[in-house]
Amino acid sequence: VALRHPRLRDAFWGFVALADKTARAKLTYRFSTLMAFVANGVGYAVFLLVWLEVYRENPRGAALPRRVMIPYLVAAFVLNSVLTLSVELRFMQRLRQGLITVDLIRPMGFLGVQMAQAVGDVVVNVILALPLVVVAAVVLGADVLPEHGHDVVLAAVSAVLAFAVQFGVSYLIVQATFVLQSGYGVMFTRLSLHQVFSGLAAPLVAFPAPLRAVASWLPFRHVIETPVLLWLGQVAPAEAARLLLMQAAWALALIGAGMALFGAALRRHEIQGG
Amino acid sequence: MSALRFYLVLYGVALKARAEYRADFAVGVFTAAVMQLAALSFYWIIFSRVQSLGGFSPASVLFLFGVTAMILGLSELFLNGIWLVPWYVMTGEMDRLLVYPVSSLAFVLFARPELHSLGNLTTGLVVVLLSWHMAPPPLVAMILLPVWVVSGAVIYTSLLVIAGCLSFGAVGPWAQHYMVVQHVLNAARYPVSIYPRWLQIVMLAVLPIATASFVPCAWLAGRGPLWEAIVVPVGAAGAIGVFSSWLWRRAIQGYQSSGS
Repeated sequence: VALRHPRLRDAFWGFVALADKTARAKLTYRFSTLMAFVANGVGYAVFLLVWLEVYRENPRGAALPRRVMIPYLVAAFVLNSVLTLSVELRFMQRLRQGLITVDLIRPMGFLGVQMAQAVGDVVVNVILALPLVVVAAVVLGADVLPEHGHDVVLAAVSAVLAFAVQFGVSYLIVQATFVLQSGYGVMFTRLSLHQVFSGLAAPLVAFPAPLRAVASWLPFRHVIETPVLLWLGQVAPAEAARLLLMQAAWALALIGAGMALFGAALRRHEIQGG
Repeated sequence: MSALRFYLVLYGVALKARAEYRADFAVGVFTAAVMQLAALSFYWIIFSRVQSLGGFSPASVLFLFGVTAMILGLSELFLNGIWLVPWYVMTGEMDRLLVYPVSSLAFVLFARPELHSLGNLTTGLVVVLLSWHMAPPPLVAMILLPVWVVSGAVIYTSLLVIAGCLSFGAVGPWAQHYMVVQHVLNAARYPVSIYPRWLQIVMLAVLPIATASFVPCAWLAGRGPLWEAIVVPVGAAGAIGVFSSWLWRRAIQGYQSSGS
């Protein structure tokens, strides 16, 4: 008997329930979740300390003044913490245990399952990031906060699109993991490219020209740099619209590519574990 | 069978198992190279803005990048199994390991080599050679390089073992707490003199990963004596190695089993 597709309303509440359960599961493993946050922080503190030294050595040599760069780096760290998804890690674990069969037969579809869980990740990340936002606002003051109300709106829209881009890249990695014995290799490649080209360590304007040219052709900048620049009000209105369109295009392209590859990956996959 | 031969056989079998998946091997080596290149791109960004970092030249910082990559690679090649401890604990696999009539720590360490380590080792060596091409070192540095890398790998792995001991108390599916150690290793890519005083103490004395990279680098840059570049990394490796294996035994004694 063929299963019927759920109605839109049921699919929506199914999505919300799965996101909720994912968030609760992450909060159950509080130590792991907190350590992921701490590890991100330690890694990012290195970037920040290196930049502080650069400003000490050459106060006028950096591409941006210090009072612009430091808030940018702090905002980038907060956004990166919020958008750190466990899509690949969770998938690899379930693949190894054979639990992936359950995900494949869920009525909301494999893409919906992965995205709902990614939303659950974001919910927990936001909870953990909130104290950091308060500390950043107290320490850096107005420099790290948007000047106008429309900056907040643009940044919020951009953050949602940034999530879609980030998820789209992760979903592609999931497809590669279907055909490899371990997905750690491709996952770390993604993380490395994200670290360089997202603007996490510095805005693209600080990059040497060849590196900037490469970064501008990749989707990663739209995960961190675009929303952060919009938040800090450093983008002209016309440019803001172009950036948001670029983000949306990348999100659609990446998720579409993932969906297209999913069928092919599934045909080659053999269920393991149990 | 002697203990040494047992571990050699165990390692050989584990290596064969990993090498069986050729596509994963190729992806892994590629990944390791990409990771190091990603790190080097930040080096590029920084040195396009300044002539030196904390008084250290681009060649010196490149040396730090290369040595830390080699330390990571060597640890991953021989002692990588520690990353699986959270998984062993959560699934109950740890109980089975503990009844083997061998050292549980050595067994865990040797049981899971990572072949992508070859990418880190090779990239690291190339970067060190490049830094030495930019600033030729004395001949003795070439003899000491293996000492620094082995000491660094022992220190880094010992720190992972200490982090691994936490897995017995805080059960969870992922090894996120190990990533803190990995980020401390990444911090050793830059001269520790640029960090706040308390962090310098942490990286040189508490989690002494910088002793195997920064202390030799300081000697090469003419900022420290040769004896320090030999004694400090080896001494730190010995001390943290002994401490971590003692802590592992304590953690095992307190382990109450888990899993399903």
